[in-house]
Parts: sequence; structure tokens; C-alpha cells
Amino acid sequence: MKDSNLKSNRFKVSDYVVYISFFGIFALFSIILYDGGFLTGQNLLNITRQTAMISVMAIGTTFVLSAGEIDLSIGSIVALSALITAISLRMDLNIWIAVLAGLSTGAFIGFVNGIIITKLRVPSFLITLGMMTIVAGLARWITNLEAVPVINDTFNYIFGNGKVFGIPILLLWTVIFLVFGQIFLKKTSFGRSVLSTGGNKIASLFTGINVDKIKIAVFIISGVSASFAAILYTGRLEGARYTLGQADLLLVIAAVIIGGTRLSGGKGTCVGSVVGSLIMGMIANGLVLMNLNIALQMVFRGLIIIIAVSFSLRERKRL
Amino acid sequence: MKEPILKMLGISKSFSTVEVLHNVDFTLNIGEIHGLVGQNGAGKSTLMKILNGVEVKDSGNIIIFGKEEEYNNPIQAREKGISMIFQEFSLVSSLTVSQNIFLTRESHNFLRLLKDKESEKNTIKILKELDVENINPNEYVENLGTGPQQIVEIAKALSHEPKILIMDEPTASLSSHEIESLFIVINKLKKRGISIIFVSHYLREIFEICDRVTVLRDGNKVFEEKILNTNLKEVIAKMTGKEQDLQVSKRKRQIDRSKPPLLEINNLVVGDIVKGISFKVWHGEIFGIAGLLGSGRSEIINSIYGVYKKKKGEIIIDEKRTSINSPNDAIRAGIAIVPEDRREHGLILDFSIKDNILFSVIKKILSFIFINDKKASKITNDSINKLNIKASGFWQVVKFLSGGNQQKVVVAKSLVTDSKILLLDDPSIGIDIQAKSEIMNIINDFVESGNGVIFVSSEFDELVSFCDRILVLKKGEVDSIVDCGIEANMSEEILLEKIQ
Ligand SMILES: Nc1ncnc2c1ncn2[C@@H]1O[C@H](COP(=O)(O)OP(=O)(O)OP(=O)(O)O)[C@@H](O)[C@H]1O
Ligand SMILES: [Mg+2]
Repeated sequence: MKDSNLKSNRFKVSDYVVYISFFGIFALFSIILYDGGFLTGQNLLNITRQTAMISVMAIGTTFVLSAGEIDLSIGSIVALSALITAISLRMDLNIWIAVLAGLSTGAFIGFVNGIIITKLRVPSFLITLGMMTIVAGLARWITNLEAVPVINDTFNYIFGNGKVFGIPILLLWTVIFLVFGQIFLKKTSFGRSVLSTGGNKIASLFTGINVDKIKIAVFIISGVSASFAAILYTGRLEGARYTLGQADLLLVIAAVIIGGTRLSGGKGTCVGSVVGSLIMGMIANGLVLMNLNIALQMVFRGLIIIIAVSFSLRERKRL
Repeated sequence: MKEPILKMLGISKSFSTVEVLHNVDFTLNIGEIHGLVGQNGAGKSTLMKILNGVEVKDSGNIIIFGKEEEYNNPIQAREKGISMIFQEFSLVSSLTVSQNIFLTRESHNFLRLLKDKESEKNTIKILKELDVENINPNEYVENLGTGPQQIVEIAKALSHEPKILIMDEPTASLSSHEIESLFIVINKLKKRGISIIFVSHYLREIFEICDRVTVLRDGNKVFEEKILNTNLKEVIAKMTGKEQDLQVSKRKRQIDRSKPPLLEINNLVVGDIVKGISFKVWHGEIFGIAGLLGSGRSEIINSIYGVYKKKKGEIIIDEKRTSINSPNDAIRAGIAIVPEDRREHGLILDFSIKDNILFSVIKKILSFIFINDKKASKITNDSINKLNIKASGFWQVVKFLSGGNQQKVVVAKSLVTDSKILLLDDPSIGIDIQAKSEIMNIINDFVESGNGVIFVSSEFDELVSFCDRILVLKKGEVDSIVDCGIEANMSEEILLEKIQ
């Protein structure tokens, strides 16, 4: 109790856990994999490229968790949106129409999630769990489990393999999303309403915040960000498949929690979430470089997530 | 003179850099009721939390029965015979009354299964000692109002058979009837030899029930005296550090009731609690609603604000029929509220003072869609100064403010809006007398510029000294509307009689 009670409320060690963990893990891998190629510029850029999708989804999830809700359907949304984008491109539609089709998919699913959750007053955990299964089913059904290749080079360049001044375009997309997300969450009345709703729903209602609208909005944001991640996946892999995004849910939620967003709402930061995602990416990358087999990688990944999450939650609980 | 049961010597406590208690001494004699008073943020709750082991002191000694004791959690404190009733309740709302009282001490049968019947019996026994008959031991706490919850909290503390009982503002949300029976209980406990520390902002209560009083000011002990050797004026002077008259004198107001009213409520029905209420509030009027707990007074306020659904009834504001189905509608119609339950309805505890106040003025501080932080800080700072909120700054997180200062933030939220109708549901709970009189003055100014106030309070003297008219509410129906202006001969006693 004694020394944990904040100073000027502005500087709290617990708010910086994510950065400390980041540098800790970074240093650890740099030492262990000194000869293993971890610390090369190429590999580091690789990490940012590989985590771009997780980062984008993490930004969307930051809004949902901040509002005191959770969206478990993002992984399935990735698969469905990716397929819809790829199919649109196969139909020779304009790139931007294809992108719009992909984004609308996520927006629509998010909207439906939000409507059901606010109107029927059912916990988001259950509704989005159901939605996860429905959407995953749709993604399998839509192409009958077939993968859809994308041969449109412009699309693959803009959303996957391109570079601007030597910087991978996926990193640029992450930064754009991050800047918008952070400003939106921290500096606008919408963002403040999101945090407020998550902090105390009833008090927010009394203050005149339209709590239902806010909740619907965060599910739309979450859906759209999952769709955008899907577009990035499609561009990078030059095609879509129903398995895309399958394993991402846990990574995204872990990244956001490690980043300092509160699972129960009221507190959130997009910057933290992206750093959290980078931690996830580093771990994945480091484990691969260590030449561990897939099974062991999974075990280690799970272990590290548990350690990191409990570390960041513990610190905060004492306050 | 016997050895005191408790001596706290040289207690100091800081929260990081801010020292909130400086070298405080406090003694409690056996079987006495000892009042602890001071302004909001003076450090009363902190001192009591240290005694109860919730907070750990930085320095100083605690001597119980002549023996120095060290402990740092409430369970150890309880073993030393200390129990505390918290300012903010500590009940689990999803459990029943008796489950709460005997939480972690349930009796088991030989299979280690809980014997709920026995807890129930014991609960009934304790409640009987408290002369409380209207609380069912099997009722879930979440279904109880604030008053009954407070009683359960007291019963829970008593079930530990403490030697020292700490009560932090136990009467804040009780009706005068409940306060009376509480005082009877407290006196019974005193006769049993239990020593009681009684924290309250109602100085009248201190003089009615306490044997001695200690005054804290800004974390210093400034005064300790037998109640018989001091008086109200002296205690107030010690609390505030100045000689001053804090009586809010009733202002003389001319209310023109020939003009159309500001607010008209017609045949309002809410659930089966409010059964067809009609009244009018004119420009420049403070309209009181007096009723016992459960009479429907909070329901009236909350349905006007659009929180509760109205079964029937119309709201007319400035001659216009207004439909209000959500707080948003109410705010748009120019209505602001100070809700009854500050922690649940009024505040986002993890937010700073500024972020709590900000939404009430969101229109004024928005540039495009961005929040203008400078303007928000300025408005917040004005409120902090005006209401004398004790905080290290506008960025302080509300949950780290003292109880009374939290309430001031709730009041500030409603005052910064540009509304013309203010709904006040027990706004001065936990607020010290100086702040109370400041708030009353602000509200008087507010109505005198042509606005209206609906004022609900469980303190009838507050109602009488403040309102122009009072609606007496009985079981959800209007009993009468009494004139309470400066010429009318209203008094607390008359009102009390009417209400029963
Ligand atoms: N956990 C905490 N962290 C930081 N500051 C705190 C904490 N708890 C209390 N304080 C500060 O300590 C001071 C004393 O608070 P305390 O709750 O003891 O006041 P109080 O006398 O009980 O006031 P009230 O009459 O309003 O209940 C306040 O200024 C408050 O902001
Ligand atoms: Mg207090």
C-alpha cells in the first residue's frame, strides 16, 4: 500500500510497464540471439511488417476494451473480409471498391454486434463469441474452403509488399492507424466518451452520453480495423484464405492488455497497444530464430503471454 | 480516571509526497462516544483507516489497553477489538443481508456445507438489538436502499463484537427516524462498555450524542474537549480556523406566480411507487420534496431526468410539452442533476476531476471534434476554487479525494452546465458545513437569476431553511404542498409531523 499510491498522478511506473517489458525482451533476444540474426536491420523491419496486422487490430480492440466491452469476432472478420476483398479483385473491380467491400464487411458485422449487445442487453462476450462462429462459417462457405489468389500488383504493392523511401508500407499503415487512433481516443469528445462509458456506464448516462451509440461505434471501429488487417494480410500474402486471422485473437487481446488498456474499461492507450503488439511480434520472431519447432513455439508463446499479462495487470491492481 | 482504551500518538501519513496527517494524537476512553470532526479532506477518514488497518501509518504509535500494537490489515485490527463502518459501504451487493454479515464466518455442518439458517437466525438477533424490523435477512443487498444498507453495514460491524467501533459518517444517508433509532443503539452499545468514534459533519449530532470531541484541521489535531465544556461556535471556529457565522440565512424572495411556471409536472406515474403526482415550479423558486425513504422522492427526480421510465404523466417546461426519455433529452431541455448515489451515478472514479467535469460542458470546450484542454482546465479550476475542493490539482483522480470532496465534484458537474432547472437529490451528503453554506449560496444565486430548483433531502431542517415551498410526499402521493417562504411559519418540527 505504502508507496504505490501515486505521486502527482501523472507519472506512474505501472503506466510504463509495457515499455520496460519491450526493452527487456528486446535486450534478452539481442543477447540470446546475438549470432542468430535478431539484431539486424532487416530482421527488425521484418518484425514490424509481420506485426502490422496485429497492431491494426489492437488499435480497434483498444477502443472496445476501453468502453468496457470485448470483441471476440475479429479473427473471423479477418478471414471473411480478406476473402471478400480478394473475390472483388478477382471480379476485376476497382481496387478501391474492393477495399471498400472488405471494410464494409467488418463495419457491418461490428454494427450488428453493437445493435444486438445494446438493444438486447446481452454481454458482448457471448454475442461476439456467437458471431465469431457465424462469420467463421461464412468464410468457409463463401469459397468452399478454396484460397483466392490476388494477381493485382498495384493492390499487393499498396497493401503488402510496397516500400516508400525504403520503409515497408505495412509499417506506414501501422503508423497512420496509430496516429489517428491515438488522437481519436485521447483528444476528441468521442474518445473521451468511450473511456467514460467504460469507466462508469451509469454515471456516463447521467452526464448525457449516449452510451448505446458509443458502444455500437466501438464495435464498428473494431470490425473496420479487423477488415483493414484483412486487407493487409491479403496484400502481403497476395491472396486470401479462410484460415487468415485464426490465431490472432489471443495475440491482439494480450497485446492490448500488456499495452496498458484495462480489461474492464475506462483506461486505454493505442500507443501502448502497438508496443504490446511489437512485443508479441518480437516473441514470435525470436522463437522462430531460435529454431524451436512449432509445438514448442506455441508453448513458449503462451507462457510468455501469461507472464507478461500477469506482470502488467499485477502492477496496476495495487493502485 | 481509568486508562484510555486507545491512544494514538504522533500519527503521520503521506500519500507519496503529500502529507495528509501531521503528528496527530488521539485518545479514546472506555465507554465513551468520541466525536471526530473537521472539514472535507482534513484527514478524518485516513486517521480512522489507519486505526482499522486499511492504511498503514508512516510513523507514530497505537496503544490499545496500554499495550503498543502493530498491525497492518483490518483482520488483525478486528482481533484487537476494532471494527469500522466505512463512509463508502463495503457490502457485496449480490449477496443477501445475512450472507453479507457473516461473510467468511458462516457456520458449517459436518460436510462443510454452509448453514445459512443459522446465519439468518443470528442476523435477526442482531437486527432486533438494533430495533430494525423492516429488513429481511434473505433480501439481496442490491435491492435495498441506501438507508437500509447502512443499517446492514452497522449490523455487520456489530457481529464482530468489537470493543472499539468506528463510525465514519454513519448518519449521512439516514432519515431522521433512522438516525433516532441509531442513536438509541449507539447509547446501548455505550452502556455495554463499547467505545465509539463517531465521525460526522452534522455538528448537532455531535453535541447530542458525544462525550468528547476532537477537531482535525488540514491534518493537524487542533482541539480536544469535553462536549460539556465547548459549544458549536467554538468547534466551527476550530474546524475552519476563523471565527465566522455559517448560518445560511434564508433569503427573501419575490416569486411571481401569476406568470406561467418554469416547470409543470402533470399526473406523473412511475412504476407502482409514484402514483399520479402534479406540481409546478416557478421561475426563481426552490421547490422542496420531503418524504421518507421509499416515498418515491428519488423516483420523481429520476423520472424527470429521464432515467426511470414514466408510466404516465407530462412534463411542461416554459409552456412547452417536453418529452424526456433519456438523460440526454433532459440535458437538452435544460435540466441538470445531482444524483443521489455519487459513486454509482455521479462520478467516474478512475477519471481526473477535470475529465469528470468536462462532459457537462462538452459543447463549450469543443473545437471541431477536439477537446480544448485549456478551456476544460480553466473551467475545472474555477469550480475547484468556487467549491473549495481540496485536491492537489485538476488532474487528481477522483477516487483519491475525500468523500466530501467527491461530492463537491458531483455538485460542480451540475453547476457548470447552463441549465435552468436543477434537480438536487440530497446534494450535501458528506459535505462540511462551510462548503454546504457556500453551495447553498451558489444555488440561491442560481434561482434568483430566474431559474428553478427541485430539492430533495432527508434533512428536514435543511429543506425548511432553504425552500420556498415543500411538497410533502406520502407513499407516492401528494399529501400537501406547504408554503415555506420567509414569512410562513414553517419549522422542522411541523414538517416532521406532517410527514409521519
Ligand atoms: N489513497 C489516497 N491517495 C492520495 N490521496 C489521498 C488518498 N486518500 C486520501 N487522500 C487525501 O488525503 C486527504 C484526507 O482525506 P480523508 O479522506 O482522510 O478526509 P476526510 O477528513 O475524511 O474528509 P471528508 O469529510 O470529505 O470525508 C484528502 O486531501 C485526500 O485527497
Ligand atoms: Mg471522510
